[in-house]
Amino acid sequence: MSDNIGINLDREGLEYNFAAPAGGVASGEDGIIKEQDQLLPIANVGRIMKQILPPNAKISKEAKETMQECVSEFISFVTGEASDKCHKEKRKTVNGDDICCALATLGFDNFADHLKRYLHRYREQEGERGSLNRAAGNHEEKEETSNYGSAAVQSTPLKSNGVERRVSALARPF
Amino acid sequence: MRQAGTYSGIVSGGISGKTGPHLLPLARIKKIMKRSGEEVKMISGESPIVFSKACELFIKELTQRSWMVTIKGKTRTLSKEDVASAVMATDLFDFLVNLVSDSGGTHL
Repeated sequence: MSDNIGINLDREGLEYNFAAPAGGVASGEDGIIKEQDQLLPIANVGRIMKQILPPNAKISKEAKETMQECVSEFISFVTGEASDKCHKEKRKTVNGDDICCALATLGFDNFADHLKRYLHRYREQEGERGSLNRAAGNHEEKEETSNYGSAAVQSTPLKSNGVERRVSALARPF
Repeated sequence: MRQAGTYSGIVSGGISGKTGPHLLPLARIKKIMKRSGEEVKMISGESPIVFSKACELFIKELTQRSWMVTIKGKTRTLSKEDVASAVMATDLFDFLVNLVSDSGGTHL
């Protein structure tokens, strides 16, 4: 039987969310269904938004969903540019420097500067960890790497305070 | 509100388990990067980490600009339309114009 009669769900691609839980699938009216695994989690996105807003500010759920989509688009946009550059230079792997360059090329100069410093610090830390591990077996370092999973879960409920300290040590607030 | 993704994302997102917890799940970022094009094949371990920070900066920038629109309207709730207005008003966010007008847009 054709679906021409009555309900045109498949045809239009709209109103698809008869089974979608609230916040489960963000579907736009143009019929594109954004699966959750192509978006960053709404809780994380909302948390970052709150950080920059005054305490009495409220954010609508739709605004957070829109922000989720914008961030994914941002990642695709910048990755595309970074990947083009790699391709032209006959390299196969997109690295942190490529992302910084892509950001600068696309007009996000202030991000690019910030991130270059961030990347530099990250690489320094990685270098330090490498040499510490090779040296007398630093217990702290070993704990951090081997218990990564549990450490991450434990610190997350504390509203990422640990992250905040680390992040602000690396770079000035935006 | 779905919170499950927060923990599972961070736990499973340890591409480089050495940098500690990030605000955004690295594995998810990597997935989105890969979807951006056929030619994106190999991604260095540090790339999602750089993006995690970049996305944080991006969210803050767009949120701040959206909030400027919100407070003109004398409300304290940041709405989807405020985000759309901020995008329209900022050249840097031209790449988002279609995205926000598609999902919003009988306001213009």
